[in-house]
This record gives sequence, structure tokens and C-alpha cells, in this order.
Amino acid sequence: MSTRLEQRRAQHQRYKEDVKEHGKPFFPGAMWHDTVMSLVVVCVIIALASIWYFTSGENPEDAGLLGPRYTEEADAGTTNFIPRPDWYFYFLFYLLRIFKWPDSVILGTVGIPTILLMLMVGLPFFDLRRERRLLRRPVAVVAAILVVLSMGVLTYKGATQEEALGGDATVVADWVDRNNLPASAREGATLFNETGCQQCHVYLGSGSANLGAPDLSDIGSLGGKTEDYFTRYVANPRTFGNNVMPVYGQANGGSLDDQQLGNLAKFLAASKGEG
Amino acid sequence: MEPKRGEHGSHVAAPSLWPVGFAIGVAILLLGTILGWVIAGLGAVITALFGFLWIRDATNDLRGEEVAIEPERREVAPRASATAEPRPANEGEAGMPLPEEGEVERYPRSAFLGAATLGVGGVIGGLVTVPVLGFTILPAFTSQGSGQVDVGAVDDFEKEQWLITTFLQDPDQGEVSRRTAYIRNNGELDGQPSFTILSHRCVHLGCPVQPNGPVRDDEATRETRAENEITRIPADPSGFGCPCHGGQYDTEGNRKAGPPVRAMDRYEFSIRGGRLLLGQTYSVSEVRGQGAEARIKRHRLAKPGVHVDGPSSWLYPISPP
Amino acid sequence: MARRAPSSRRQQLERAALVPVDWLEERSGLAGGIKYFLFRKVPADINWMQTLGSATLTAFIVQAVTGVVLAMYYKPDPDAAYASILRITNDVTLGWLVRGMHKWGASVFIILMFFHMARVFLFGAYKYPRELNWIVGVGLLALGLFEGFTGYLLPWDETAYWASVVGININGTAPILGPFIVQFLQSGIEIGEDTISRFYALHMLVLPGAIGGLIGLHLYLVVRLGVTSPPWSPEAAGRERVEPGPSTNGNGRAGLVRPGARSGAPR
Repeated sequence: MSTRLEQRRAQHQRYKEDVKEHGKPFFPGAMWHDTVMSLVVVCVIIALASIWYFTSGENPEDAGLLGPRYTEEADAGTTNFIPRPDWYFYFLFYLLRIFKWPDSVILGTVGIPTILLMLMVGLPFFDLRRERRLLRRPVAVVAAILVVLSMGVLTYKGATQEEALGGDATVVADWVDRNNLPASAREGATLFNETGCQQCHVYLGSGSANLGAPDLSDIGSLGGKTEDYFTRYVANPRTFGNNVMPVYGQANGGSLDDQQLGNLAKFLAASKGEG
Repeated sequence: MEPKRGEHGSHVAAPSLWPVGFAIGVAILLLGTILGWVIAGLGAVITALFGFLWIRDATNDLRGEEVAIEPERREVAPRASATAEPRPANEGEAGMPLPEEGEVERYPRSAFLGAATLGVGGVIGGLVTVPVLGFTILPAFTSQGSGQVDVGAVDDFEKEQWLITTFLQDPDQGEVSRRTAYIRNNGELDGQPSFTILSHRCVHLGCPVQPNGPVRDDEATRETRAENEITRIPADPSGFGCPCHGGQYDTEGNRKAGPPVRAMDRYEFSIRGGRLLLGQTYSVSEVRGQGAEARIKRHRLAKPGVHVDGPSSWLYPISPP
Repeated sequence: MARRAPSSRRQQLERAALVPVDWLEERSGLAGGIKYFLFRKVPADINWMQTLGSATLTAFIVQAVTGVVLAMYYKPDPDAAYASILRITNDVTLGWLVRGMHKWGASVFIILMFFHMARVFLFGAYKYPRELNWIVGVGLLALGLFEGFTGYLLPWDETAYWASVVGININGTAPILGPFIVQFLQSGIEIGEDTISRFYALHMLVLPGAIGGLIGLHLYLVVRLGVTSPPWSPEAAGRERVEPGPSTNGNGRAGLVRPGARSGAPR
């Protein structure tokens, strides 16, 4: 039995002989294919640029099919902008959201990307078999499918991740629309959005679930919860045994006055869930 | 095998170490123009000395003098074969006779030339690389301190009221140095004014932290002082939240949820002539208590995502100036 | 030479056209090199998926060309960058097209790099003797992503600024050296007046230079080591035969015997 190195060399020798005997010149056959593909690439780029430009406007708010031409000028002191990376970093962006404990931050930022890079660089050194046919490389094929799937899922999650934006009128209008909120609940909805409730609560898919806070989209349809109940609860969650949620009532050292609490309670009581 | 070429006394200049010394002298002279005249003078002396030696060496032939002893010249071994008459000036290693019994091998000329080429190349590379790398890297780490910023009269800060205060850290740099601080006047403690001043950069990865609560944009006050536009917007937050990766802080800046690795960074402050001045930022691992009574565990300013206490901080043993 | 009775006029023309080529060849050997590149043999069964590499190269060339032109109008200064982007996009004739091509070309370039990599992986084309070329490719991928990262800051809009803040600080969490990397990238404690020109220099000069050099090495290795056949091809170049030795192509024997000989092997 010859050594692996000898076998590899013999195979490459065989490859060279095969190509010499039965191969075809790169030009024009193969190069023609390459050229057609390059034409496709350039056309796609120009098409994307055109769609992007002609469906958008000069104003940063006039986003087209492929997004705006630019957002507002950079403001290093902003307090209401929600940063998002370019699409090809969405997977990393979502990875960072997964590692939501202080001591695991480094795994998402440096750990996993470094491991991936090392796996990629090392690939030809731990896959030493000569076999190239897919059906005989089950590990490689499964690994490839898993990588593509997880990258796809992470990218998708990153792309659709929504975040509470303080004072975003479109979000509130969307809620009024989808949850059939009465006019009296609108002020409370705006307050709910502004007050940062969505930093912990999800409402109709917007916001993030932190500290085990429940989804509030249909909180009003649960039995026995009246406006009065919500007013008292939000004013001081401690009296209901909740030691996680901040205290909001001004009487208890919070930031909302009675009228604001009342509006918020109206909104919560009217939240019956979609449909 | 051995082509005999080059008559005795060929016109190829003999290799010499003097140019190396000459180059070093020039380098010291140039450095001296920055570092001081004593060093420059030393460099000039070295340059002149080696320059003289080099010229003397190079003009040996013209002056018709006997070539001085070359350090690389090998002595002819007594039993060297007749065909391999060594000719130091133009023969390579291949031309060397094999060392025979008792013969000590001398340092061959081609090896010397190879090493010298590498060495001189290294010197040239260093002369170019060191200033370039220094210019690229060092300015990022030197003179990074910034002065104090006036953000308004103490009276502008109502007691127990949060103000989202936006200002230029360095008016000379312009808008790029715009910063936001969440400032709350805590009143006085033992006759000393107390402020809670939180930096609005998330300590996870530096995103802009938002107040969780109503922001009264219509009650904003603006002030321009020493080319610095300051905006103060009242807000009633019940905490602060980061819109990137979901970090949550309470009103003292302590981490409540999400990935932030420490409490929010704070500004040092001082009061001069009734004005509130912000100084350097510093990092905080934990705040106990509230407002004026808060006890703050203070650390040197660290980058976002860098732990300042606990075992994870061992990953960052040194921090840049 | 072997053509059927070409007109003497045409012959004259052809000879005249070849004069500069011969001149160049005699002095440089370049024409021979190009000839070798064009007429080298590749396996007869190569496939459309194998055009992804040259497609990536095309995307890179588009980026290089549009980037050079954009540099004629763009101003890498925190006070002027955003205004120059507005001007390029809305005012300068065809500026929208060039900027659009550069912006979207970047995405296309990165997608194509991943597709090309997937193709090489599926074909097992990273195996002996092409390991080094795989590593060069991984290096190109990393540099390409870094190129995308440095370019993202340049429009100096909100998205650009804050995505860059996060990106820079991600590097900052690297053990020991992280904080130093951050300060180097930002040219200071925070993003300041020098950051954008630093990113611009990296994006314009350092990284494209490195990418160009690695692409040259990548192509050299492709030409030297050859292109792989699709692994499923019955005529794959270099496929294993029962008897090692001169190719017995054409009698179909290898194809008939192979599966049986290997049937016990996979497990």
C-alpha cells in the first residue's frame, strides 16, 4: 500500500495527463462561459443601482425598494437612532443579540468569528481524504448544510429584528390599525412607545423580551384586568409582587403622573390582540 | 570548472564596511536635528570619519597604492589544489577549495556579501518603516486628553430633573465631537452640589443609549457658549435602554438586563462661577444607592465591551493611554 | 497559414497587425504568457458553477473602476463627506449610477465570494494540491469583508456612523490587544476628525492593494494547478482507475468497476 502522499501525487499526475489528453483549451469554450457570467454580473449591478436610485428620493425618508439613498447625516450625539449593519453582517449582529449576558459578550464578538475563520483556514488540513464526490463526503455535506442554514436563519433574524424607537409615530399608527384601538387609547399607545416599555415588552412584534417580561399585544383580553388594575399595577408593580419592573407612578417615585398612568391603562385595557 | 577571471588588481571596488558606518552617521545626524545638537555633532563626526575612510578605500587604485588588507581575504591553504587557486575578489563559495585536514574554514566572501545585503536592506526597511509606522500608530495614543466643557449654569438644571444634554466635546473638531450626557441635579449633599452625569454610549458596543420615558422636546433649551452649541431637553426616564442589542440600565446606570459588561460610563464634573463643567469620562462597575448618596465603584475609562472587574477583566490586563 | 487562399491584401494586413505583437513578444515574452493563459487545457467537463470565480473578479474590477471615479468627487472629511455624497448622488451627472454601482457592487462582490467558496467546497477543490489556494481565498474573503466594513463608514450618514462604531468596538473586545486596535482604527479615543480619512486610506489604498496582490497569487495558482472537474462527472480528470497506469479512457471499464470496488469502503 502506497502512502497517502504518494497516492495524492499519483492522482494529481493522473489529473494532469487526463487534462492534457482530453481537456479543451480555456479559450474560447470556457472563457465564453466566464464572459457570459461576467455580463450577467455587471447587468445585475447596474440593475440594482437603477432600481435603488429610481425608486427612492432625495429625501432620506423617501426609501425605495432597495432602501434610501442615504440616511440623515451622522450625529454622534443622537438619542433616537437605531443602528443596523449592512446586510452581510446581519448574522454577526444577531449573534451579538443571542449572547445577552455580560460574560458571554466576547463569544459573539471575537470567539465565534475567530473559530469560524480558523475552521475555514484549517479545512484542507483536517479533510485529508482524496474523495471529492458529495455522496461520499457525508460529514462535509452535513456541515455545509448546517452552516448555510444557520447563516440564513441568523441573517433573516437580524434583518427582521425590530427595536423600540422612542416616539416613532408610524409604529403607533400601525398598532391602532392592527389592534383596532379606540381613539382614547391612542395617547396611551404613544406614551407606551415613548416610555421605553418595548425595551422589555413585545407589542405586536415590536420590541424585545427582556427580564421575562410578557408580550402585551393582547393583555387587555385576559380576564379581570380593568383600567383601574393597570393604573395601579404600572404605578407600583411592587404591590403586585413584581420586583423586576420599574415603578412608574410619581407618588411612588416614578416618572408618570396620574393622567399619564390613566392613558397608559386605557391603552393596555384596549389591547385585545390582532384580529 | 573554475573560470579564471579577473586579473590581479581588477577595477572592481573591494567591498568595504565603511559605507555602513557612513549611513549610520547620516542617520544619527538627521536624528540629531530633532533630538539635539550634541547628537547631531556626534553624527557629523561619524559621517565625516567613515566618509573619509570610504573615499580613501575607493580611491586606492587611483592613488596607485597597494590594496589594503581586506578582511575577507582567505589565506591560501598550503595544500590547495592547483586548479582551485583562490581569488578572493571575484570567486564565490563554489570556488572554494574543500576544507582539507587541519584547514580551518574562513568566512567566505559571498556569505559576507549575502549577509551584508540582507543587513543593509533591513536597515533601509527600518529607516522607512519605523517613521511610517510611528506616524500611523502613535498619534492615536498620544495627547488624547480633552479639556473641560461648559454645559450651562447650575441653575439651568432643575433639581431631580433629567436633562438630555448635547454638546461639543471639542469645538475645534466640530460636529464629529458631539456628545450627549444624561444629567440630573441631585441637589446638595453636605453643602456640596451633586450631579449624576451618564454618558450616552452603551458600554456593550458603543451604541447610543436612549431614555426609557417621555422626552419633552418642546421644552428644550438651547445655548451657544464659546462656539459650543448646547441643547438641554427635559426627559422623565425610568431607566435607559440600548436599541442595538437590548442592553438595559436603571437610572443610576447599573446594568439591569442584556449584554452590557458594566454600569454606564460617567463624566467627572466641577462647578466654576456657577457653571457646570464636564471633565473626563470614567468607567463604573457598580453604583450602590441613589442620587447624591450613590456610592460609585470607579475605574479608569475602558472601551465598550471591556470588563473592568471580575475574572473577565483579566482578558484586558493593559489599557491604552 | 493553412487558410484557403487568403487574399494577399489580407495577408499583408495580418502581418502588419502582428508587428507590434511581435515587437512586444521579443522584448517581454508577454504575448507568450497570454497565449499560454488562454490556450492552456482545462477539463472538458467543467461546468457553469465554475464561472463564479471570474464573476467575482469582474465584480472586483467594477468596484475598482467605480471607486477610482468616486474618489474624484468624494471628500474624506467629517464636515464635508456627507455633503459630497449628496452631491454625487443627486447633482453630479451619472453620479447616482457610479455610486449605485459601487454600493451594490460591494454586495454582489461579497455574495459572489461566498458562492464561489461554496462551489469550491462542494467540488472538494480545496484538496491536495490546492490547499494553499484555498487559504489565499479565505484571506481574500476576510480582506473583502474588511473592505466592506471600511467603506461603510464613508457616506457619513447615521447608518454608516453607528454601524462603524459597533464594528470598531467589536474588535475592541479582543483579549489584551482589543482596546489598542480600537484606538488605532479610530485614531483616538473616539471616532474623531482623523477617523474618516484613515478609513478612506485603508479602503482606497491598503486593502485594494492587498486584495489585488492576493488575486494575482490566486490566479497564478489556478493556472499552475489547473481547474478541477465536477466530482460527479464520469469523465472527471484524475478520477481513480482500477489499474494505475496510462489512461484507459474510452473502454468504459473504469466506470464499471469503480462502484463495486468501493462499495464496502464508505463506512
